[in-house]
Amino acid sequence: MSQLKDVLKPGLARPLAVGGGVLAVIAALLPWVTYKFAQYGGDNYPAAASLQFFDAPFQLEGYRLHTLILGVVVVVVALAPVPARHRVLRALGWGLVAVGVINTVFAAVEGGGLGAVTAADGAIAFGGFACVVAGVLAILAGIAGGIEHVHVWRAKVATPVAYLVLLVSFVVLLLLVAMMLNAGGQGGVGNPYAGPIFLSLLGFLAGALGALHGVGLTGWISKLSDQHKVFSVAVLVLCALALPFTEAGTDYWMTTAANIGIYAATAIGLNIVVGLAGLLDLGYVAFLGIGAFVAANFSGAAAAAFGVELPFVLAAIIAAVVAGIFGAIVGSPTLRVRGDYLAIVTLAFGEIFKKAAQNNIGGLTGGANAIPNVPPINWFGQSFDKSLTIGSLELPSGVLYYVLIIVLVALVMVVFANLKNARIGRAWIAIREDEDAARAMGIKTGQAKILAFLIGATLAGLAGAVFAHKTSTVAYDSFQFIESVTLLAAVILGGMGSIPGAVLGAALLLVLPEKLREFSDYRLMLFGLALILIMRFRPQGLVPDRHRRAELADEGAEGVPIEELNVHDTPGGSTAVAR
Amino acid sequence: MTATPVLSASNVSMVFGGLTALSEVSLQLHEGQILGLIGPNGAGKTTFFNCLTGLYTPTRGTVTLRGRTLPSDPAAVTVAGIARTFQNIRLFPSMTALENVMVGRHSRMKQGPLASLFHGPAYRKGEADARARSLELLDFVGLTGLDDELARNLPYGDQRRLEIARALATDPAVLLLDEPTAGMNPQETEAARQLIFAIRETGVAVVVIEHDTKFIFSLCDHVSVLVQGQLLVEGAPEVVRGDPRVIEAYLGKPPDEVEAEVRQYAEEAGRPSAAESTMVIPPVRERDGGSEGGNR
Repeated sequence: MSQLKDVLKPGLARPLAVGGGVLAVIAALLPWVTYKFAQYGGDNYPAAASLQFFDAPFQLEGYRLHTLILGVVVVVVALAPVPARHRVLRALGWGLVAVGVINTVFAAVEGGGLGAVTAADGAIAFGGFACVVAGVLAILAGIAGGIEHVHVWRAKVATPVAYLVLLVSFVVLLLLVAMMLNAGGQGGVGNPYAGPIFLSLLGFLAGALGALHGVGLTGWISKLSDQHKVFSVAVLVLCALALPFTEAGTDYWMTTAANIGIYAATAIGLNIVVGLAGLLDLGYVAFLGIGAFVAANFSGAAAAAFGVELPFVLAAIIAAVVAGIFGAIVGSPTLRVRGDYLAIVTLAFGEIFKKAAQNNIGGLTGGANAIPNVPPINWFGQSFDKSLTIGSLELPSGVLYYVLIIVLVALVMVVFANLKNARIGRAWIAIREDEDAARAMGIKTGQAKILAFLIGATLAGLAGAVFAHKTSTVAYDSFQFIESVTLLAAVILGGMGSIPGAVLGAALLLVLPEKLREFSDYRLMLFGLALILIMRFRPQGLVPDRHRRAELADEGAEGVPIEELNVHDTPGGSTAVAR
Repeated sequence: MTATPVLSASNVSMVFGGLTALSEVSLQLHEGQILGLIGPNGAGKTTFFNCLTGLYTPTRGTVTLRGRTLPSDPAAVTVAGIARTFQNIRLFPSMTALENVMVGRHSRMKQGPLASLFHGPAYRKGEADARARSLELLDFVGLTGLDDELARNLPYGDQRRLEIARALATDPAVLLLDEPTAGMNPQETEAARQLIFAIRETGVAVVVIEHDTKFIFSLCDHVSVLVQGQLLVEGAPEVVRGDPRVIEAYLGKPPDEVEAEVRQYAEEAGRPSAAESTMVIPPVRERDGGSEGGNR
């Protein structure tokens, strides 16, 4: 890097950026693929057609539209007075590189080699390459100019203005989420392009958010949402409830979003144990399983061990309590066992649970036959798995589960946030930081640690009860070790100790596999690679909480001014709500 | 000075396997007193400290706080009224200064998990009180305005002060300071001395382990000297300072004696003494090394 810096004189920044921006615009207008994809029925790669911009100027869409936008913005940023210009340019450059690489690689691999993206059969297409080069130029421009610190807005605004800003940002966020879920449609054999289109949109959004972050907009919004917590949370919940009314309001996405919600709630529970108290738990999914099996047994399903059908709320409470008791039992070794050894203990517990469920111990789990046909929740004559009609508006089926799970996630978030900012939350963090010192401060560390396990498990048990009714079949193999690892990955990926992080992590870990169905052979490999890269370049997680950031990002050590340390640098404005 | 001591150790012995780290150490701390505990490396000072804070249960003998035998659990000892700082600073580095002190308030707050969960009026009052008291303590130790700073970002001297504030937040009757001036420059040491005097003014009795004898003798009302696990001498600083056993055991031989030895050695070797004009024996001021630090 330092040698690169010697070659790149600051004076080169502007010409490089302008060149990169113009090249990106040209790339958007070039064709990207040389021929139709015969194996998909002669289907063309979406939005790849040549020079369509000149026939129909406003029909440029998809990744080519994104490339055009990024290119124009790069030129504007290079010429206009923008704070933290070179940081912004670098972010936009990475966005261009991501869009170019993802589409080019997919087209080349699926289209039969480099010919598909360069020149073949008389057709030429260099759009993808031009896009990557443009991105690299923008990144070099950023490096040449010297990367500035994130700009900080000190503007104070009146409450109504702040509300308006927050409202607008959350609505934009809602639309972005809907757009992301819908990008490329539902993955699968019938729709081979879902993966690249989705990833490409993700690359574009990452670049755009990186740029907004550099300018200081996201930091400012997250500061505002910190100041108006209650309002932010309310609006955020409303936005989540509005999702069914957007383009993502299909049966399929309602189901997926509900699954994300269940995992997000569980991940937040795990976050208490791992993120706050610093106790590594590798068998956490067992508590979700315990909750699900308890609820299934009280649901009146034919295979249930108890022939009673309890109302859902009651069954959910019992599920949560039972899971909590098991949590306390698993947590009790923490009195004696620390660190790696505790991880092994929890791992063993997870395996014991799985094997016990597989062998139908006590006749409670149905063994390999599982507990099928758990009836859907039914309130006021409305079954939760049917579609809901309000007046003339028909909402997709699964929307009621979605709403229930939004409420569940909101509840779990409140529990987490309230505990974190209380006596017990400080005790947990103190234990994580230095257990002996915490004891010397009068904290009964044993009690506190067991309480962490108990509360985390209770929340997971609650999520499990919803899970049982929603999926209608509760089988032991839904609760394998890999699920525990995925939950842990969601927590760490999102940022330990942070709620928005856990939700984002759970969402990414569930949406990515859905979108990448056609890459199913490589799915886990890509997934592992992504985790390695994120942990290498952002060890504090995507949306870290303040403590973790200080610990892992080493911002203090690099001499960032103290005021900057206090600014929450989250990539998404919405995501800082619950800190 | 009242007759009944706040803290009293009687005949405390600590045996690790075959090693007697402490034997029959007795010590009394009265209200409003600053007691210094000195001794060479390995004398058992930190072991004794650990017996006072519940980290170790003495093999023989008892420690009582206001007449009550101490429990053998550090958390319970803190609740009973003994707070401590650590030889190598042990703050919660990724928490803010204020949060660190508020952790110290933990045992004095009545806020159960349910109150924490629902953030009711009782929670808000308790939280506000703890916050106010913590800010007050930060002011007291001279960290005004640094409450929102992460502990890890504070300079060394401020971290020491923060550790004292955190210990004071537990409302102790006795404060144990384990080498409070280690690594400090003279100005910081003087500030620490003033701070300890101020703490005494608030009615807290203080025990200090230190290697800096100058600091100890100018600070304490009473000094105890531990050597090889035994209480060698105790008394007022002037008495202890002049005691030849202390000088020999702790400070080494007096400078003039050493000088005489050097001269004698030089004469025996048949060369003129290089020590005559330049020989200065600096006061011994060594860091407590791994031997004791590893006990914890």
